[in-house]
Amino acid sequence: MADEFRPYFDALARGILAFPRCGDCGRFHWYPMKLCPFCHGAGIGWEAVSGVASLFSWTIVRHDFDPAAIERYGLRAPYIVALLEFADAPGVRLISNLVEADPDALAIGMAVQALFPAHDGRVLFRPARVG
Amino acid sequence: MIAIVGVGETIPLRVSPKDVRALCLEASLAAIADAGLECVDIDGIITDAGIMPASVPADWMAAQLGASLNFSGNLSYGGAGIVAAPMLAEMAIRSGRAKAVLFYFGVDWGSRPGGPYAFHDAYPAKKLFEKPYGFSAQPAYFGLWARRYMHEYGLSEDDLAELAIAQRANALRHGGGQIKKPLDRETYFTSRRIADPLRVADCCLITDGAGAYVMTSAERARDLRKQPVFVHGVGFASVPVSGDDVFTQPAPLLLTPAAAVASRQARERAGVAIGDVDFTEIYDCFSISCLMQIEDLGFCAKGEGAAFIRERGITIDGDLPVNTHGGLLSYSYRLGIEHMVEAVRQLRGESGAAQVTNARIGLVGGFSPPDYGVAVLGR
Repeated sequence: MADEFRPYFDALARGILAFPRCGDCGRFHWYPMKLCPFCHGAGIGWEAVSGVASLFSWTIVRHDFDPAAIERYGLRAPYIVALLEFADAPGVRLISNLVEADPDALAIGMAVQALFPAHDGRVLFRPARVG
Repeated sequence: MIAIVGVGETIPLRVSPKDVRALCLEASLAAIADAGLECVDIDGIITDAGIMPASVPADWMAAQLGASLNFSGNLSYGGAGIVAAPMLAEMAIRSGRAKAVLFYFGVDWGSRPGGPYAFHDAYPAKKLFEKPYGFSAQPAYFGLWARRYMHEYGLSEDDLAELAIAQRANALRHGGGQIKKPLDRETYFTSRRIADPLRVADCCLITDGAGAYVMTSAERARDLRKQPVFVHGVGFASVPVSGDDVFTQPAPLLLTPAAAVASRQARERAGVAIGDVDFTEIYDCFSISCLMQIEDLGFCAKGEGAAFIRERGITIDGDLPVNTHGGLLSYSYRLGIEHMVEAVRQLRGESGAAQVTNARIGLVGGFSPPDYGVAVLGR
């Protein structure tokens, strides 16, 4: 694994969802790069987020494209792939799976939250509970 | 100026008994013969930058043909590389580096294990951050775009159906495509969902096959066998986004990367207004991406693609025929080499039942994100 990818998984293993943020210009970027893609700063830190995200888009995958994903993660169709945005990490869009969710009740902009502990380097999300 | 003087393709099949080198060779020989040239006349070879170098390299093709490789090059992988190749050929021909340049491209994704999905293992961040969530196949990427597009612009499943049905009608009229079954609203809505909201009929075919075309100077073209098709203008542009990021990270996610710039470049070089385009062949890997490109190439404003398709018509008899052979959705999925071949045939008046009346200017769009290529061709 490339050096710039490792801190994400190290943080997940400690129960923290964190994204790369440039120490010079302060901007988040994703996926991890060797230098900040905006100012080329080398001092990239990792900033923890709350784990609450908003649903930017989603799709329900209904065909098993990847036998390896079934074998390793039990990821058998149908499953929900979600693209998520974070108010506390603007500029990051994260791919994950939405679980414990009613497929008919999904809506763009709905709040979801990360489920910890993460297993096998994966953090899943579920609809945020109100109150 | 240069011209396309020969085209060739194999019959598109889901699984071919021939391997991809044999397919590319067959298409190349057909294109050279169509031009009325001999293999030894070819002194430059261009192909795509990503797929052919690993499977059907240009030096192998040169050796097999007995052609000299005084010039070779590649600009981009897949669609953009296929459509924008005349830009490289024009540089070679105008500078005297080559006189007759062959472009070829083929795929064996119908028979190769992993098919088109294996391609994305080339991207390290996708492999680490997307594959573990089952986000590793193109229908899922475009399903995600389609869902967001519905939210932002009010697209309906009926709009997607309209596009897919129009292209199937074109394919059946053409008759040479891989799929022969008609598609109506009922069959569309009963077809299997693959990645919501996309159904089977919204996704391109999977094909074993190849295509090729031959280019030379406009001057020499006039003495060759077939009516020349002139390359009036080529556009090629890219955005600084990696292949890892392109389906998820760009801030305006619903703009086909670089398509508007490439289209403007090509039309300015050609001196052609968008309204002068008689037909277009667009990289329709999915119904949604075709609709987005109709907008981003400049045929209508952003968000108005569905209304454009409905009101103007994109079948062969429509106001703007789109994918006159049925496209990647209903003809074959060879990443757009079939689009170049079809555009040339239309401009020569060789398209038979699928012929667009008085086709004089064709615009071909090649999508391989983050790159985009456009060729404006004319007779």
